[in-house]
Amino acid sequence: MSAFDVLFQQVINGLALGMMYALLALGFTMVYGIIELINFSHFSVFMTGTFVGLVVLSLLGVTPGSASLTGVPLVGILVVLFAVTMATTGLLGVLIERICLRPVRHVSGTAPMITTIGIAFILINLVLLTWGPQAQRFPQLLPNWRWTIGGAEVTFKQVVLFAVALILMIGLSHLVRRTTLGKAMRATAQDADAARMMGIDVDRVVVLTFFLGSALAGAGSLFFGLYYGFTGYYIGYTTGLRAFTSAVLGGIGSIPGAVLGGVFIGLTQSLGGQFIGVKWTDVIIFSILIFVMVFRPNGLLGAQTPRRA
Amino acid sequence: MTVRALADRWRGLTVARRRQILAPVLLGVGILFPLVTSNAGNVDAAANAFTYVLLALGLNIVVGFAGLLDLGYAAFFAIGAYGYGIAASGQLRPEWSNLWAPLEWAGQVSRLAMPGQPATVQFHFSFWPMLAVSAIICAIFGMLFGAPTLRLRGDYLAIVTLGFGEIVPVVARNWEGLTNGAQGLGGIRTPKLFGFDFGFSPYPYYFLGLALAAVGVWISIRLQESRVGRAWMAIREDELAAGAMGVNHVHYKLLAFAMGAAVGGLGGTFYVAKLTTATPDMFTFPVSVMVLVMVVLGGLGSIRGVVLAALFVAFLQSVILQDLTQYVHVLGRVVGSPFLQRVELITSLELIFGLILVLMMIFRREGLWPAVRRVSALTREQQAAAPARGAAVKLSWAHPPVAGGSAHPLLQLERLSKQFGGLSAASDINLTVHAGELVSIIGPNGSGKTTLFNLITGLIRPDAGNIRFDGQDIAGRPSHEIVAHGVARTFQNIRLFNNLSVLENLLVGEHVRLEASVLGAIFRPPRVRAEERRAVSSALEVLEIFGNRLLPRLDHPVYGLSYANRRRTEIARAIMTRPKLLLLDEPAAGMNPVETLELMDLIKALRDLGITVILIEHKLDVVMDVSDRVVVLDHGVKIAEGAPAQVRSDERVIEAYLGRRRRTA
Amino acid sequence: MRPGGQLLLEFRNVHTHYGSLHVLKGVSYEIHEGEIVSLLGGNASGKSTTMKTVLGLVRPTEGTVSFRGEPIHALRTSEIVKRGIAPVPEGRRVFPRMTILENLEMGRYTRRTEPGGDEELERVFSLFPVLRERRHQLAGTMSGGEQQMLAIGRALMTRPALLCMDEPSMGLAPRLVEEVFDIIRAINEQGTTIFVIEQNVNMALSIAHRGYVLQMGEVVLNGTAQELLENPLIQKAYLGGT
Repeated sequence: MSAFDVLFQQVINGLALGMMYALLALGFTMVYGIIELINFSHFSVFMTGTFVGLVVLSLLGVTPGSASLTGVPLVGILVVLFAVTMATTGLLGVLIERICLRPVRHVSGTAPMITTIGIAFILINLVLLTWGPQAQRFPQLLPNWRWTIGGAEVTFKQVVLFAVALILMIGLSHLVRRTTLGKAMRATAQDADAARMMGIDVDRVVVLTFFLGSALAGAGSLFFGLYYGFTGYYIGYTTGLRAFTSAVLGGIGSIPGAVLGGVFIGLTQSLGGQFIGVKWTDVIIFSILIFVMVFRPNGLLGAQTPRRA
Repeated sequence: MTVRALADRWRGLTVARRRQILAPVLLGVGILFPLVTSNAGNVDAAANAFTYVLLALGLNIVVGFAGLLDLGYAAFFAIGAYGYGIAASGQLRPEWSNLWAPLEWAGQVSRLAMPGQPATVQFHFSFWPMLAVSAIICAIFGMLFGAPTLRLRGDYLAIVTLGFGEIVPVVARNWEGLTNGAQGLGGIRTPKLFGFDFGFSPYPYYFLGLALAAVGVWISIRLQESRVGRAWMAIREDELAAGAMGVNHVHYKLLAFAMGAAVGGLGGTFYVAKLTTATPDMFTFPVSVMVLVMVVLGGLGSIRGVVLAALFVAFLQSVILQDLTQYVHVLGRVVGSPFLQRVELITSLELIFGLILVLMMIFRREGLWPAVRRVSALTREQQAAAPARGAAVKLSWAHPPVAGGSAHPLLQLERLSKQFGGLSAASDINLTVHAGELVSIIGPNGSGKTTLFNLITGLIRPDAGNIRFDGQDIAGRPSHEIVAHGVARTFQNIRLFNNLSVLENLLVGEHVRLEASVLGAIFRPPRVRAEERRAVSSALEVLEIFGNRLLPRLDHPVYGLSYANRRRTEIARAIMTRPKLLLLDEPAAGMNPVETLELMDLIKALRDLGITVILIEHKLDVVMDVSDRVVVLDHGVKIAEGAPAQVRSDERVIEAYLGRRRRTA
Repeated sequence: MRPGGQLLLEFRNVHTHYGSLHVLKGVSYEIHEGEIVSLLGGNASGKSTTMKTVLGLVRPTEGTVSFRGEPIHALRTSEIVKRGIAPVPEGRRVFPRMTILENLEMGRYTRRTEPGGDEELERVFSLFPVLRERRHQLAGTMSGGEQQMLAIGRALMTRPALLCMDEPSMGLAPRLVEEVFDIIRAINEQGTTIFVIEQNVNMALSIAHRGYVLQMGEVVLNGTAQELLENPLIQKAYLGGT
């Protein structure tokens, strides 16, 4: 393969990965936009989603050993898988908000963030204790079809996941831009007191935001499982870091920013992995994060200025 | 003597006395413990526990004292560990050159010559100097990692520190030449003391750990009760107000990171010397979280709390969970549950950490053993102290203005302008204030009065214009510098250090007049002790001014004071800086008429003592009474200036307040 | 002028506290249907707390607030707004990254499922033609005066019984202030009761039927607008004694 082909291939890979990070970053940034909380537990919800997916698939009779499916059964199972997993993670997010976060919502300082760290630890360890430390194989649901474009390969997996992500994002965009409920969410994010004065039930909006954000994390988690073919209790850390950087880079609180940031980080991971070395990817991404936070806290598209301490 | 009587006796002692009793007792227990217990395993567990104590004390400085949430503290643990590890193992083998000769002479390195190969250096640095070197290296890294966070808000600061906390083990894992990668360092030499090798017995490490922990506690206590500690706590409580009282936040934040890192580095060096190995996995994020759990559980800022919590977490990990597991297995046999018979509670350690964090944040944010605060009870007449007029005001350092005065005015504002968004908060303001004057600034809501104060005290930079104080250009200088020149202020919505006592708030005001640095704080030479004594008597002198309203509440935390007393404390704190110019922003807000008059008497007395005062107030009849001169602002523009009576009857002033009369009926 | 309409909003002996600070010290107001009532006072008089108390953002420590005879001081803000009180907050508080149209839509949130939204929108646009012109513009990019119009229009979208305005003149140039007060009078003539909290005495009293003057948390003067305008004590209350 020529250098250009390698580049092109990594761009394709990066875009696909970027969609996963974008889905994860979206939920995270939506919550931040509404209550200005850095929610660590979001990434553990993501990790939990992969295991929920495993359970759903095994209930549907699909195991890691099963052959991949095509046609109507594939579509049917995908729909059920996504629907159930997203609903479950969505509910998990709501539970977390109601039980652990609402009591500390009005505490100033870093107590709320510390609480989310605690929740993350609880989730990670519950999964660890239940499934053990080894990686779990994820069923290879999607057939391994590939097509060559130019000098690069595009897999069926990538196309499907890209399409699903796009649908979800368009759906979210429609919700937020066109429906009254979505507008109420944006209003609450921009000025919660004024939103209250319009008669908007801010608490309900917060719950809804958590549900949607966590459901998107659930979708992202299925991406992970279907794309990489495995999962483990620890995937929240690295993937979470990358999604977090995506959100901050794009501009925390900004929905288009999360998508832009996700794609950027996805490309950084694949191109950086190719040309610099996979083992340094984490350091590169952390450095981007630190750089953005110190020199441009608003990110690329962010309108919210994080208040100085 | 009954337990109750003993407890009362205890409560009656001063903190100093209690420490005099507790310290030898605790040390005694510590020294006797390994002699009393027959199980060497306990001693080993206790020796490891001292590492945890050091880590908790170190993080307590950063998070507890200075309020900087560091989520990557394990990085300093790692640097201290690897620092000693590399220096005391065979990992690095640079080529021999004569530059190494002095170290060879000192016994720290050896020249290794293998047949057929160039000579190399073998490191075996001695543990004891490495303790100090480790601490210094960690302090430097502390400042390096802390520097990018200086202007970030709380949660972004935490994320950046988390970032560095992640980068360090990744580097350790990948820079194999330096650290031997994932396999880690091995063969780290154990400490030797006068020829005695610590070896693998836990006993010498136990005593070393006890000594290090004791030193750590001692340093923490000394720092907390010093000028440095007060500066940290001021930053934690209200960084803006701390700056307005002369605390340089850049300097003290970096210092907190450095000290916290240094203590963590000590822990790392000790731990690795005992373990004789260091791998990257020992310093990952869960370790940082574990240290955070200790501090949160014990109580942020509470030295005894974090020590107890560290010991608890250490024993939880090494002893308690194992013992509990035995009971659970027995229970499993009794009820016939195979799950219970097999479960190993130690694997749920991190789960327990998560639960601790969540539960503590929801139910008991101040920690299980928060710092004890002795608050003196008030007598009935002190509780009911009524305001009184005519109290004498004496300040030993204040001098009434000399006749003839100085050549230049004290404060000069020239064409001062500031815009926020499209709105003009200050428009071409010119103002001159001479020493010894009492000038009032009045004007309707939003006219720019507080903006003027913020410009003068360095909270914001002007867009245009000059500010000259006592002949010096101060426009755009940072607020702590301006305080040192002699300008002090209070805030419209009261910015006190809420969790500190009245006295502590005032002592922060003394910050610029004191000189004690970290070493002075820790070792407390006579010079520093005298300085502290003088500071306290200054504070008492200032509190005297307020009669018995504040003096009996000396050691009360200010969040519990009445609104009027909080105002008075803020004014007292500003006076502590020994200002030439005092800016008071609505000091009488919330006070009833008699309290207001009392306050005005005080302000006049301060002016008579030589302190120039600029006052923002809305109670206009009072303002008219005390002022030498009144300046009126409206929409950022000075619309009138002059003697009170003149200003009050000025048409433009009346219109600014009441609005223009409508043209149509 | 429509004197003597039904009692719409009533504050009875309301006390509020901010920590240990006693802000409102037993204030009582009455607002009848069809009136424009003005609450006046300088800084630290307690007038902003009044608006927050009406909307349920601050709870009285003593006393009651009733709307149409029913107590509302313990209700949530969304409930209070649903009953027919619409706020024009201090500083406008429009949603900066939403368009004018979207802001107006938010104003109608409590009646979003009811028909008639288009008519209300038309009504607002005829009162404020500039809003119709700029309806797709982001609210944060408009001038202070335009934002004030938007804030008022937004409040009118539910055709409220009571319009509560907090310092509508704040930060506006004098000519705009006159315009705004002309509009307030026009809205009242169309049937809306208005409670205006203002610092600008002369402007407020030029359109109000009645007024209360607040000082240090207590009502020190009240009466018809004419009475208050002629009362020398007003100047004293604002500027201190002569």
